Amino acid sequence: MYEAVHAYPDGASTVARHARTAARHGYDGIVVRTRDAVEVDPTATDPATTAAPNATRVAAIREEYGIDVVDAVEIDVDGPASAGGSVGNYRPDHTVVCLVGGDDRLNRFAVEEPRVDVLTRPMADGGGFNHVLAKAARDNGVHVEVDLGPLLRATGGRRVRALSNLRKLREILTYYDAPYVVSVNARSQLELRAPRELVAAAAAAGFDPDWIRAGLTAWGEIVTTNRERRSGSFIAPGVRRGRHETER
Amino acid sequence: MKHLPKHLRQRWRYLAVGIEAWPDASISRRGFQRALWYAAGNLLGDAGSADVDLTLLGFTLADGRGEAVVRTRRGHVEAARAAIACVHAVDGDPIGIRVRGISGTVRACEERYMGGAGRDPIQRAVAFAGAERSAVVRGDARDVAVESDHVGATAFDTE
Repeated sequence: MYEAVHAYPDGASTVARHARTAARHGYDGIVVRTRDAVEVDPTATDPATTAAPNATRVAAIREEYGIDVVDAVEIDVDGPASAGGSVGNYRPDHTVVCLVGGDDRLNRFAVEEPRVDVLTRPMADGGGFNHVLAKAARDNGVHVEVDLGPLLRATGGRRVRALSNLRKLREILTYYDAPYVVSVNARSQLELRAPRELVAAAAAAGFDPDWIRAGLTAWGEIVTTNRERRSGSFIAPGVRRGRHETER
Repeated sequence: MKHLPKHLRQRWRYLAVGIEAWPDASISRRGFQRALWYAAGNLLGDAGSADVDLTLLGFTLADGRGEAVVRTRRGHVEAARAAIACVHAVDGDPIGIRVRGISGTVRACEERYMGGAGRDPIQRAVAFAGAERSAVVRGDARDVAVESDHVGATAFDTE
């Protein structure tokens, strides 16, 4: 199970501190949504064995806490026009590309763009989600994020509205079998919760425990697929360079 | 009042809870108990809240690390866990919280999951984000004071 976090300077904890806490909570890895927090050498061919100074630091963090640390980017733009350019820019350099939704046009853009891995916080700030978007997300393999942050941290009317939005999102996603991920959008190590606590809290809000676990595992699946795609031996889905191929 | 026959007595479960906060957080036992009950009340409602109980039996917190024993009724452990997960701040101080384990007696709970208070924290200056800053150092964790706020870091980010 993976969790996606906001690291310093976007959040209040560094990548290493998030990794330390997440490892104690029993996660298999963290996806760092902050663009510059985990820098991986873009010229290296195999992202798993990059040798840039920053990459060795990330490798050291992985080694120290026994937890996977994944570089990701969260694209937060005003409209689809600039989003298109950003996706093109960041896609080659990052393992996971997320796009912040919360606006009808951005939500629409994200689910119709196969190069986007995750549409984050689609229902925040009055964004809508419907069957059209769910079908597009399923066809393009774009995961929709179920943000459990308000369940844990909001109170009163804001929490009620967030929970009713989450319920609507869950029903649409389940009906169309669209891919999804679950996260609490932790900005510091204090906001992280162990998977078991998260599952229990979500169950109290009407979610199926297995559905939540699958959403946490889905981050890991995105990471595995994208690492495979970005590795040197990948040619096309199902086609890879075999051991009989010689360098030319 | 005469106490109940054994088969009618309430069976309890005791949750060992680990608490983490920023080093300058002042969290009282009373404040934490109130936060627990509010979290249960808001998530589970009055009826559910009565079911999970969530009475605080032991509480220690110093320099941002602490632990507590929370009582719940047998059979309502998952609901109690859910309510505990929703405690995100006590009197405005954000806290991280984790259920370390569950026992059938307070004694087993304390022996198995409590104590082991890590090394004592040291206050010293560390190099972080291009400046010397004051930090509370505990093991490889560093809680760095940046402006009026805190940044959670580790030995990887300083030095």
